[in-house]
Amino acid sequence: MTENITSFVGYAFIALGIFLWFWGTSFLPRKRSLLFKLHTLSVSDILGSIAIIIGLLVKLPSEWPLLILAIFSLAIWNTILGYVLAYCSSAGVDHE
Amino acid sequence: MHSNIIIIPMMVALLIPFYEAYRDDNVWQKLLAFSSIACKTALITLVASVLRDDWMIGVVGVLILSVGNAGLMLLAHIVKRVNEA
Repeated sequence: MTENITSFVGYAFIALGIFLWFWGTSFLPRKRSLLFKLHTLSVSDILGSIAIIIGLLVKLPSEWPLLILAIFSLAIWNTILGYVLAYCSSAGVDHE
Repeated sequence: MHSNIIIIPMMVALLIPFYEAYRDDNVWQKLLAFSSIACKTALITLVASVLRDDWMIGVVGVLILSVGNAGLMLLAHIVKRVNEA
């Protein structure tokens, strides 16, 4: 019984992550500003990916060191990359 | 069977940034699309490795996540400097 529940919860997290992927990436081809796309992509790539990894953790706990490292790497590096892209792309653009 | 149900939609989601990188001429939009491609491919690698229970591929996925983004950050700074020059 618990086997079914963990498998269901795992698939639910993975489905949530894939949904967030599609939601965030769907804004990419549209004519929107770079910062708007960056925001939606950050949400989709970081949160969606972390949801997928949590789903994998629930389904296969034996690989937890690798997956925890992937979560840290995602949360830190993708966030910093989003900041650097926003900073570099808006350099020289006057916001006042 | 189950891994295909997970990996095929992820591959489809990966095609959207490819289309965006092909279509848009703005360098920053392309860089944004490539950063999304990098993250998604690393995740697909990680999912495939966990479902196949093969750690070595998983380590590759985690390395792409950390080192790949660092490369994109350097590229963003270079493009910024080139635009300023």
